[in-house]
Amino acid sequence: MSTELIKVTINGQEFAVEKGARLIDVCREQAFNIPSFCYYQDLALQASCRMCLVRIEKMPKLQTSCTITCTDGMIVTTQSAEIEKAQRAMGEFLLANHPLDCPVCDRGGECELQEMIFDWGDVEERFVESKNATPEKFLSPIVANDPQRCILCKRCTRVCDEWMGEDAIEAGNRGVNTVIGTYGGWLDCSQCGNCIEVCPTGTLLDGTYRHETRPWELDQTISTDTYSSDGMQLSIGSRGGRVHRIVARDRYVDGLNGEFLDVKARFGHGFVNHEERIKTPLIRYKKGGKLIPTTWDEAIHFVTNKFKESGNNVGVVASPRLTNESIFTLKRFAKEVVGSENYTISDVEDLAPFFNNLSVPLATHKEIRHAKTILLIGGEPEEEQTFTAKQIRQAVRNGGAKLIIVHDTPIRLTAQASQFIHVNPKSLDAFALAFADKSDKTILSKIGAAQSEIDDLLKLIGESEGDFIIMFGRDLSAEAQAVLANVAGNFASEKRRVLLHPLPLYNNSVGANDMMAGRKSLSDVLINSTALLIGGSLSKPSALTDGFLSRKDFIVVQEMFETATTEFADVVLPAASFAETDGTFTNNTGFVQRVRQAVEPVHQAKADWIITSMIAREMGVDFGYNFSAPAAFRTLADSIDAYAGLRYPHLKDESKPVQVKHPIAGKKDLSKETDALRRGVEAMPETNEKIIGTPKVGHKLHRLTTMTSKTAQFHLLAHGNPKPENLLVSPLVQFNLDGTPRVEEKAEAASAGDRISDVKRTAGVTLDGKV
Amino acid sequence: MSLISDVIQSTKAILLGMKETISQLPKQSWTVQYPDVPITVQPRYRGQHLLHVDEMGKEKCVACYLCAAACPSDCIYIEAETDPRPYEERIGRDERFARVYNIDYGRCIFCGYCVEACPKDAITHGYNFELSVYNRADLLKTKDDLLITKQKQSKNYRVALSSEDVDSEYKEV
Ligand code: SF4
Ligand code: SF4
Ligand code: SF4
Ligand code: SF4
Ligand code: FES
Repeated sequence: MSTELIKVTINGQEFAVEKGARLIDVCREQAFNIPSFCYYQDLALQASCRMCLVRIEKMPKLQTSCTITCTDGMIVTTQSAEIEKAQRAMGEFLLANHPLDCPVCDRGGECELQEMIFDWGDVEERFVESKNATPEKFLSPIVANDPQRCILCKRCTRVCDEWMGEDAIEAGNRGVNTVIGTYGGWLDCSQCGNCIEVCPTGTLLDGTYRHETRPWELDQTISTDTYSSDGMQLSIGSRGGRVHRIVARDRYVDGLNGEFLDVKARFGHGFVNHEERIKTPLIRYKKGGKLIPTTWDEAIHFVTNKFKESGNNVGVVASPRLTNESIFTLKRFAKEVVGSENYTISDVEDLAPFFNNLSVPLATHKEIRHAKTILLIGGEPEEEQTFTAKQIRQAVRNGGAKLIIVHDTPIRLTAQASQFIHVNPKSLDAFALAFADKSDKTILSKIGAAQSEIDDLLKLIGESEGDFIIMFGRDLSAEAQAVLANVAGNFASEKRRVLLHPLPLYNNSVGANDMMAGRKSLSDVLINSTALLIGGSLSKPSALTDGFLSRKDFIVVQEMFETATTEFADVVLPAASFAETDGTFTNNTGFVQRVRQAVEPVHQAKADWIITSMIAREMGVDFGYNFSAPAAFRTLADSIDAYAGLRYPHLKDESKPVQVKHPIAGKKDLSKETDALRRGVEAMPETNEKIIGTPKVGHKLHRLTTMTSKTAQFHLLAHGNPKPENLLVSPLVQFNLDGTPRVEEKAEAASAGDRISDVKRTAGVTLDGKV
Repeated sequence: MSLISDVIQSTKAILLGMKETISQLPKQSWTVQYPDVPITVQPRYRGQHLLHVDEMGKEKCVACYLCAAACPSDCIYIEAETDPRPYEERIGRDERFARVYNIDYGRCIFCGYCVEACPKDAITHGYNFELSVYNRADLLKTKDDLLITKQKQSKNYRVALSSEDVDSEYKEV
């Protein structure tokens, strides 16, 4: 961005604006309202709706302000009789074939078209020709489509292409016959729902929230995504204690992700009001017996007595899905109540090697979007950190960044990459070693890449200016992560700023790492304790934990559902979901963001930190929270350096997130880690077989379950837990183009343990909308 | 003054007063012997609501919530649902219908805004005014009470014809 200022006169007022600014943005910043449909910040220009017309002096006709770049001395008029006449005429054309559907349209109440026409008022329809009616249909179980409502702004096709790289939805035909359609009649994509979000009208609608309620009836609570570590901001729409929908609409949320969300964040909320939620505390009085419902008083009493028997042999395990408050309270429980150091988190990877060896700061998502060079080593952000993936794609597409991918699988992002180093399966550690220690040439055969490829990479980095971001995930061993995090600083120069970006799996992996500093490893805790307090089911494969869990004297689990872990529990305490608690999550860029209570805890559930402090109080230690989440956060912030001084009011504005500054360790002597890494690499088998074929991102058509079980990301679906039925993206049965039901999908879904309950919905919806 | 003239004077005054009083007594009885005799309500009377159905008996309401939004006393509660079955099988005229439609007559002020707001002419005011109940909870009427097909015309009132001059009858007083 140039900071040179130029002068622009808008409606007689003079403004100094940045050179290169877009006229529509400038006008809006100065509070001159300009109607628009097709213009969308940071997407390719479309200029098809012609709503944003303005008069610019010395230009012959009215101009579309969304395509005009400000020039010095420009004189602009945004409001006049002439402009309004032109805009009204455009509006009339848009309505020429638009049905009068607002009462049944799910967009009604938050429809940009409705709003604009209503604001003008007095819009008369002069076309008497009958409308070109088209039936409603489903493009996929989550996307309902009414083609007649479309105004052809093509926001949907642009986000599908530019944000998601799917290109699954396109405009077909010409002229008045233009429709938004899919290839083959199906939306065969990652089902992110972003096209639904950006559509200004009711053409693309949420199929799972179809005709449920109306937007003004919903309470909008701004909260943070409970799935991915990107910490996307979203708005929970609830009514009468039920979560009805989740949207990212930036009219409610002006957060870090704008209107971007992914399939899990947007549609995976069915678990909140699920009937299989644990309703009351449960006690198993005898090992091998049944879990019997009981009262809170009885359960807390029972737990207290048993924990007192175990003395300081109680171990504490927190899940990285819990809020910071809950994880921190569990740690306090271990230290202050039990008096032991037996606490840990049950994440699939340990982030400590990364954070303890940081040589440069963490990148924010905005910095990723404007980075000049990005190096991605392993990982699959398109599945797990979807917002990061979107920022990478836009950095390349719209910002001209260079993307270098080092991977054993040609993931889909490689299509965007300037350089792709295809390494042998599971040999990323060897690459990390070669990257850190350029002198070592013997390991090239393990990597399966030529020296020239690595030289090219180093040359590319050496020539780059601006921000250089290194990302890597858990494909790398702990030593490799430590080494990479520490050598990253070596690439910094005067013209180049180096930033790191971790790719953890869970929503609060980073927060858990911060809260539970000084923890032991999970297996240490499992071995060295006779009793356990587990907050949130374990996410390790059961092979590791089962043997340990069955040998414990006493296990207390705080959970929402009966899971593989609660099978070993002696007491199960019903925990509240993210929509029922106040708290904070820390995302992979270090942003501490609020989780807000949208509905009352269902049944007798309580927030995890409340449960833990209830046990503590019964055991004689009062944490002093008084059941107030701000108080819990205050205690937490005051005892962790990076969070020092933070309070809830600082986190109030989701458009200005607070980044905690993780300490930068600086250059460290990592010869121990390097040696361990080298030994590991030397033990690698030499192979020449590479993984070929790009895995499809996500999931088979319309199945959320496939997406999530593939990456073991969603705790309810992974680890042999029961699958709540409404986590199937939608209980609809799909139909073939010829109208026959897609039986194989149904059979497959049924065999996978999914139940299609809502038979009512399955009745008679065919692809072409005929009934 | 003597006692006798006092008596005569006051009797005169009483008689004079009584004359005026008696001359003002109605010549005709206005009281309706409700409920023994049905009363006549005006055509535009706003009584208990009616939820209408179309000629095929399908509910007209599409659960657009506009009546609930317009209601100043917040007494309408709706839960919408989608029913993708063919027209012949479904409950409503449209695919979208109200699974729950409640009006709380403990709050309704019979203002008629809901009727004004309805884009589908699905709700109107009926004439039923006999809404007293023994239990406050019974003031909450559900779709079962409100649907036109479920409401019975009470014998206790009749609706005036629009040609009938109901108004002037009262004005005379
Ligand atoms: S898209 Fe908007 S204007 Fe069109 S029917 Fe729906 S709410 Fe009404
Ligand atoms: S479907 Fe919606 S977003 Fe796409 S072109 Fe039509 S109106 Fe625009
Ligand atoms: S008559 Fe008035 S108060 Fe009664 S339900 Fe209708 S809008 Fe509400
Ligand atoms: S009665 Fe009319 S206004 Fe009320 S929800 Fe039904 S259709 Fe809408
Ligand atoms: S916003 Fe400028 S033409 Fe659509």
